[in-house]
This record gives sequence, structure tokens and C-alpha cells, in this order.
Amino acid sequence: MLRNILKGTPALQQNVNSLLRLSTVETGIQEKKNYATESEAAIQTTKSGLPDKREQRPYSPFQTPMNKVDYALARVDDVLNWGRKNSMWPLTFGLACCAVEMMHIAAPRYDMDRYGVVFRASPRQADVIIVAGTLTNKMAPALRLVYDQMPEPRWVISMGSCANGGGYYHYSYSVVRGCDRIVPVDIYVPGCPPTAEALMYGILQLQKKVKRMNVAQMWYRK
Amino acid sequence: MSSLMKFIGVDKIQKAIQIFQENGGLKASLIKMLRNDELKSGTLVGVDKYGNRYYENNAYFVGRNRWIEYADHYWLDYNASQIPAEWYGWMHYKTDLIPTKDPNRPHHRWMLDHTENMTGTSGQYTPYSTNRPKIEAWIPPKK
Amino acid sequence: MLRTPLHRALLPCVREALSVSRASASTAPEKIEVFIDDKRVLVEPGTTVLQAAALVGVEIPRFCYHERLAVAGNCRMCLVEVEKSPKPVAACAMPVMKGWRVKTNSEMTKKAREGVMEFLLVNHPLDCPICDQGGECDLQDQSMAFGSDRSRFTDIDHSGKRAVEDKDIGPLVKTIMTRCIHCTRCIRFASEVAGIDDLGTTGRGNDMQVGTYVEKMFLSELSGNIIDLCPVGALTSKPYSFTARPWETRKTESVDVHDAIGSNIVVSTRTGEVLRILPRVNEEVNEEWLSDKSRFAYDGLRRQRLISPMLKVGGQLAPVDWEDALVSCARALVEAGPHSAAIVGGLADAESLIALKDLFNRLGSEQLFTEEQFPVDGAATDLRSSYILNNKITGVEEADLILLVGTNPRFEAPLLNARIRKSYVHNELDIALIGPQLNLTYDYTHVGEGPDVLKQLVSESHPFARKLKAAKKPMIILGAQQLKRPDGAAILASVQQISQKLGKNKDGWKVLNVLQQTASQVAALDLGYKTNARSILENGSNPPKVLFLLGADEGVIQRSDLPASTYVIYQGHHGDVGASMADAVLPGATYTEKQGTYVNTEGRAQQTLVAVTPPGMAREDWKIIRALSEVSGYKLDFDTLAEVRLRLEQVAPNLVKYDEVEEANFFKEASELNKDASAKLGNESFDVKLKNLEDFYMTNSISRASETMAKCVQAVMKQKQSKYYEAQSA
Repeated sequence: MLRNILKGTPALQQNVNSLLRLSTVETGIQEKKNYATESEAAIQTTKSGLPDKREQRPYSPFQTPMNKVDYALARVDDVLNWGRKNSMWPLTFGLACCAVEMMHIAAPRYDMDRYGVVFRASPRQADVIIVAGTLTNKMAPALRLVYDQMPEPRWVISMGSCANGGGYYHYSYSVVRGCDRIVPVDIYVPGCPPTAEALMYGILQLQKKVKRMNVAQMWYRK
Repeated sequence: MSSLMKFIGVDKIQKAIQIFQENGGLKASLIKMLRNDELKSGTLVGVDKYGNRYYENNAYFVGRNRWIEYADHYWLDYNASQIPAEWYGWMHYKTDLIPTKDPNRPHHRWMLDHTENMTGTSGQYTPYSTNRPKIEAWIPPKK
Repeated sequence: MLRTPLHRALLPCVREALSVSRASASTAPEKIEVFIDDKRVLVEPGTTVLQAAALVGVEIPRFCYHERLAVAGNCRMCLVEVEKSPKPVAACAMPVMKGWRVKTNSEMTKKAREGVMEFLLVNHPLDCPICDQGGECDLQDQSMAFGSDRSRFTDIDHSGKRAVEDKDIGPLVKTIMTRCIHCTRCIRFASEVAGIDDLGTTGRGNDMQVGTYVEKMFLSELSGNIIDLCPVGALTSKPYSFTARPWETRKTESVDVHDAIGSNIVVSTRTGEVLRILPRVNEEVNEEWLSDKSRFAYDGLRRQRLISPMLKVGGQLAPVDWEDALVSCARALVEAGPHSAAIVGGLADAESLIALKDLFNRLGSEQLFTEEQFPVDGAATDLRSSYILNNKITGVEEADLILLVGTNPRFEAPLLNARIRKSYVHNELDIALIGPQLNLTYDYTHVGEGPDVLKQLVSESHPFARKLKAAKKPMIILGAQQLKRPDGAAILASVQQISQKLGKNKDGWKVLNVLQQTASQVAALDLGYKTNARSILENGSNPPKVLFLLGADEGVIQRSDLPASTYVIYQGHHGDVGASMADAVLPGATYTEKQGTYVNTEGRAQQTLVAVTPPGMAREDWKIIRALSEVSGYKLDFDTLAEVRLRLEQVAPNLVKYDEVEEANFFKEASELNKDASAKLGNESFDVKLKNLEDFYMTNSISRASETMAKCVQAVMKQKQSKYYEAQSA
């Protein structure tokens, strides 16, 4: 954002010049190698502002409307989903070590607030519950209760091996073998515990999933 | 003079104009802000074969000093799994050498092309059970 | 063959005690006062210390003692201290004396138990973690409760424990003989209850082994019970081996449907799978035994299942949705209307029977038949007395003479046969048989082969008639399969007449008993099903347009009997004879998957409970018929199981009085009504369907799908090739 203005900038012209110098060595279109990095020449082509020939991915996942009404409702869904995905309020359900990693995503380094993700301590105003840690038999009814108190639409992120499938405690007498036995899970985040980055990625995946919701269209099609 | 300009903040405006220019003018800058939620200025250190652009500016603190601008065709549908393995190490500060400058990168015939996370698309991985079914169904005799 | 109770021969002290008790019983039953742990108890003379202790709720540990078997007294676990006795006494074998003070918790008793336990464990392998008995092992439990808390067993020269070679006694029972503690329960069961003297001991002392002397299969239809009897893991179930621990499984109390006895069972399940079936104690039905078919045919519940509705598409059955299947079945039924017929098989529950009958009656059809045939002349099935086992199963223990007519109870109803044998061993019961020579595991008088003997018995010209007449409580058990014969009505009528004569002046003792072969038959007849299924073919001009088979898999009506235009609907749980001839298949539930009412051959209504859910798209049977009725526009008025049972109660109240036997009456009237038929007795001698052990294992669609049962048949056939096989012994 504009706060970057406060930072110093290197001389762009120098940069471009050095790249230009390099590009005189190799010219022409690079063959696609089994290697994901193009040479410096590609940087040059990018810099010189050649348009990206590949088809741009559309914003909306609903691209094949059946008729005009369907088209209109697809846009309604888009707007609805845009709103929902950008204000996902997770209910914290920290149960074990995973909860520490969950705290990290709220801290400045990962800063979940920038995605509109704000921890909410009440299930009544939460959209998503992050089950972070070992779900024990004793805690299972509480999880279900809290889940039931959340308003629709609601999502569940299962964080870490224990919540995904019991993990290390799978064979314990007192542990639920995966929180999906108690609540329907949308996103499984693997790891023991997953890094905050992984959980962040999980939240982004959930945003992608929310983007595919087609409530209005299904209502019409029915 | 410069200290006076600094005092009244004119240099900030100059810097802003510079960043806008570096990013290709006002319109291009606004599009970048829409896509990336921020506008930064930095050195383009490389481009991968998918068209993703990698930047570095060490004036930012560590963690913010290396970043990617995803290829234009991804538009808003970008995510971290679109960064190929070669660049992963650089992005995560595992190495300071970009792939083209690192002589020790493995190159093998059998190495697969990078794929992004296909979850939610038609190309997604669907697990299947390898257990034998508990119930063996009757298959009607062929006539 | 064993006749006198073994324990009398084995233990003179018991015999003495019994003779004392007999003498006193003839004068006046005087009770003896004894003290168990200072608790006063009055017991009959001849009661053992162990039984007396049980009366006051004191449990004495035991391995060899079992209530239903003779006393052996060889494990010594039940040693207790008796005051003024220098040595501890074996509680299971010692009858109490007047004024005895038994101490079951004294130092001496404890020391004795610990000592016995130590001896048992010296040669018992420490393989509990891999032993199938783990968790339900008497030795495990009792060594925890009564054993010493430390071990003196130090194998410093690594000589190892005693090891015994495993025996191969067939595909059902797995033996790990090193674990055997020589309690001889299995041997006593085989010789006393099963009547197959195959098991025994060889060697003495440390070299003693339990086995079959020569390598052979344990040829008994009750062999599975030795698994339950074995207090350790020496005899375990082969099909169940290494599948589950008892604490992991969910147990559902249910009823067996493989024969008409309706044995009470416990179904152990885990993760939606039936893992094993065990007997449940019901003194009036199966005591605590279970036949091998009922116990081991459960793997048939997993194979050859119908899991999706099917319709014939281009001459080939193809899976379809419920909606399509119901619509096309309903269309066929509505088109056929009164020209539809139904045949029900042997595994149908009463709920689906009543639903089907109501649906067909609404369609205007009365053509509802049972697969098992029964004569329709005279009173036919209108009077209940002519198709149930009127004396009940427990009646066998009171009877002093049983005449079996054209039946082989050993394989048709193994637990009834076990009762007869029990009565034969303990009550001096005499048995006679009309029909082919069979091995029934007990001695019997072979009276004749065919119906001509019945004729002579009616006219009392046969020498056996005198013996029948002399009997105080005679029972005649008629095999229902004989009633399928063309002269079935005559056979029934003659037996009714004989019973009628014998039953006079016996104050309520009924003589006539019919042994059914399938679990659903009595309920179907109670609900008014007809019995002559072949008759739908006989009115040739008007064959049924729709034939509905409810689990009918015995092939009473073949596809070739029917015109090509007949639409055959099969509803059931296994792909067998019925499903292969059907145009539409509706997948139903087996007895472990539904709550259903079954009435056993004595008229006892019992219910099965849901142990697992039906697989795939299969549903409970009455629900399918209810759905079909709605689609076809003849909606039945029940939506819940309770409402179906209310309807059952309207038709036949006895069907919902669970665990009660509704007794039949009108014996005389039934006999009178059937009198005309008695003249038509044929000459062909009786034949029974299940003659040999290999016939026993596969009799219905579940057991035919079972691999275990197939292995049993193979094993028996193989045993018959063996040079040690004696036709008489098995």
C-alpha cells in the first residue's frame, strides 16, 4: 500500500540497465525447459511490457449461465460470496499446541486481519470454527454444542493431525479419531502442528471454497 | 533544502510519484493495488516459466523484502501453490541465490513439472478406498 | 453309547449322595442346614458345596465344573476349606453334610487356589496378547482375582514350557492345545450333549492331551459350543480368529432364523459388520447352546448381497434407483390387480408378511402363499394346533416316549435334538422313529419306513401301539416336510387321530407336534397365508400376471413354469434362486439388519434387533412394501414399526406377545375335520431331506452364500473318505 512510500527505493534505471546488459547475451524466445525458471531474457520481455498471451482467469467461478436469470443470480452469488469470503470471523477453538500456531496468524507477521479474518469469541457471530488440536471425547460434546450455536452459513477448519484424524493420539482411549466424526469439516490443514503459514493457506483455500458457493443459483434452479 | 523538504514531507510525495512511475503509471498501479492490495517498489530478480515475477527490496524488513507478483493471467485467482519449487526456497529465505544463479540445483530428466493446488477444480485429487468392500454384492448372471 | 450319567460312574461319593437323596425324597424332603461364610442356608440333600454357595451368592472359582455337564472334579480350582476337615475339599463334587461350615475366603482356601493357579500357569503359555480368548478368558480373569500376585516361575535353564501339538478338528474350531488346562469340558460336552464320542484324552500326567485320538474332524452339528465352553483359548473360533476383542464389539440381542427353533443369539458387531454370533441363554428354547449353522453362517450375510434395486434392461438385470424400481413394480402390480400372486420364503419377518398381505388384499388378490407346502384339505391351517410344536421344546424333558415321524431333528432342529438327547440320557426317555434309518446321536426303536405303519397305529394293530398307549406322556413329532407329499393331508390326519387317542385322560398333555423347518412359517400361517403355491399354475387359463417373491429362494415355482409375460418381482437380501428369475429386484434386509418378529415352531413370538444397517441401498422389508403401496396408490395405513405391530396385533395378537408361547387348542375339532383325508395314505416310504451332516450346512440363502458353511461341507466329504470314518458314529 501507500505506506511503502515511506521506504526507500533503489534507482530503477540502474536496475533496468543492468538487465538490458544481460539480455544482449541471449536473445530470442526461450524453449520451455523442464525447469520452472526462465532466463534473464524473460525478465527483459516481461519488462518490455509484452502482454501476457495466456487467457486471463475470470474472477467468478460461474461462467456458464443457463439463461439471463441464471446469469443475474450468478452475479448475486458473486457479490454475496465476495462479502462472505472477505469477512470470515473464526471462532477460536484452541485445544492443544496447534492453538499456539493459530495465535501466530493473528500476530503481525502473518496478520490475518488483512483478509478480514478476525477472531470472535462468541459462536453466535462466528462464520468459521478452527478446531486447533486434539479433540478428546470429553471435549467433543462441547465442540458440537458450539458448532450448533453458529449461524448458517458456517464452515469448519480442522487444524493439525489430531483434529484431522486423531494423529498421534489415534489409538488413545479418550480421543476422538478426527473432529470430522463430530462436525462436517471443510478444510483440513495437515501438519503437527501446521505452521501459521499453512493455516493461513487453509483460510485462503476456504475463501476459494466460499467463492464457489451458489446459493442463489441453486434456489432458482430448484 | 532537502532537509526542509523532508520536514514538510514533500519527499514523500516525490517517492509516491516514483513508485507509481515504476509500476507503470497510474492505471497500472491501481490495477496492481486491486490485485495485490499493496504497491511496492523493488528489483525484479527473476521470472519463472509461468510468468510470475519475483521482486526484492532490502529496504523493507525481512519477511516483506521478497515478494511475488503472480502472472497476469491468474488475475485474482492466485495462491502460494503457484510458486514453483525452484523459487520456494528463495521466497522462504532458505537461500539467497535465485534458481538461475545457483549452480547446485538438481536437474534431472525425471523431475516433474510443477503443478498448482487443483483443489476445487475438475483436476482435483480424489482419494479412493483401497479396502476391500465389506459387502460383496450379487452380480446377476449373464444370459 | 452313553446312557447313564457319567458323573455317577465317575464319583462314587456323588452316587452315594444321590442315593441318599432318593431315599429321603421318597419319605420326606428334609433340608440340610449348612453355613457358607457363616451365612446360613437350607439346601436339598445331595446339593454340592458349590451349588449351596451359589444360593447365597458366593461365587466359587471353577474351570472344569459346568452346570449343564457332568461333574468331573479335575481342575481343583474350586477347593474350599470346610471346618474340621484337614484338607480342602473340591466344592463342585462334594455334597454338603449337615452343619458344615464352609469357608470360601479363609487363608487355607486362598492358599489352595493360589497353588492350583500356579500349577495351571506353569504350563500355560503367556500368549494372552495374541490369544483370541483374551478379554473373555476364565483363566485370565481368575488368575487376576484368585491367583498369586507374584510368580515363582523362573526358567533359568530355558527348558521351556510344556508344548502340545495342535489338532485339526475341522473348519470351525481352531485348536491351540498348548493352552489347554485339561478341564475336559469339551470332552464331556461331546459325549453328553452332542452325542459324538470323538473327543478324549490320551496320556497321563504331564503327557496328557485332549484330542480326537486319530486325526479327524469333530463331526457334530453342535461343535461350535465347545468354543464357548472352553475356559481358556485352547478352542477358539476359526472364522472369528484374530478379528476383534470382546470389548471392542457392540452386542445386540437377537433371534436366529436358520431353523424353526428360534434360538436366542447375541450378535457381535463392529463398524457395521457382523463379527460373530454367540448363543444367549434361554432355558425354554436353546438353553445355552447354538447349532453350527446359526453360529457360523454369518459370513453369508456379507456375500451375494443385493445392495441396489435392479430392473431388467434388455434381458439383463441392471442396478437402478429406488424410484425407478418402485415405479415399475407398482405399475406392474396395478395393471395385474387381482391377477397378482405372492410367495414368501422362510426368512421373512412377520412385519413384512402383514404388509405384503395387506397390499395384495387391497389389490384384490388373495393369492398369498408360503413356500413351504402344507395340506389344504379339511381344517388345513385354520386351526393352529395342526402346525405348531404343541408340547413346546421343554415338553421333551417331561415326555417319556417320543415318536418321530418322517423327520430328522438332528439336522432340522439341532437344539430340539439336543433336548431329546438330554432327556434320553437323564430321564430314561424312549424314542421311536418312523422313516429312514438315521443317526440321531441316541438309540431309538425303528418302527417302520412308511405311512403304512401310521395306518396300523391308527387301528392299533401294530405292536408299537401298545407301547404308545402305555406311555404316560407320549409325544409325536411330525416333520413338516412330509406334509408336502401328495398324501400329506392323510399323514397329518392319521397322526392327529393317533394323538387324539393318546391324549385322552392326560389332563392337558398334548401329543401332536409338528416340527417346522423355516423361521417364518408359523407367523405366515398365523397371518392366514395359503400353503399350496403350486396351485397358481394349475388354473391354467389364468396364470398370475405379477408374481411377487418375498425371499422365496427354494424354487417352488421355476421361471419355466410361468408364461413369459409374467412379471416376477423378487424382494430379499441375497442373490439366489429367486433373484435370478426376477424381472425386478428390491433389496431387503437380513435378520441382523432389521427389527422383525419371528415365531418359532412352538408358536413363540420373538424379535430380532438391528445389529447393523442394511448395506447399500437395501432397506427394511416392510418399509419397501409400504413405499411400494404408496407408489401404486394403495397406501397402507402404517408409517412406523409400532403401527405395523398394531396391525399385526389386530390380525394375530400372539405375534406381538414377545417371548410368550401362545398355545393352540381345538385338537379334537382339527382331527374331526381332517378325518376324511386319512384314508388316502400313500405307500411310498418317508424320506427326509437332511439325512447327513453335509446336508445340514447349506439350507437357505444365507447359509448357501456362506464360505464357512461351504468349507464345512467340504470337510465332511473329506472326512468321509478317511479310513477312520465310521458311518455309524456320525
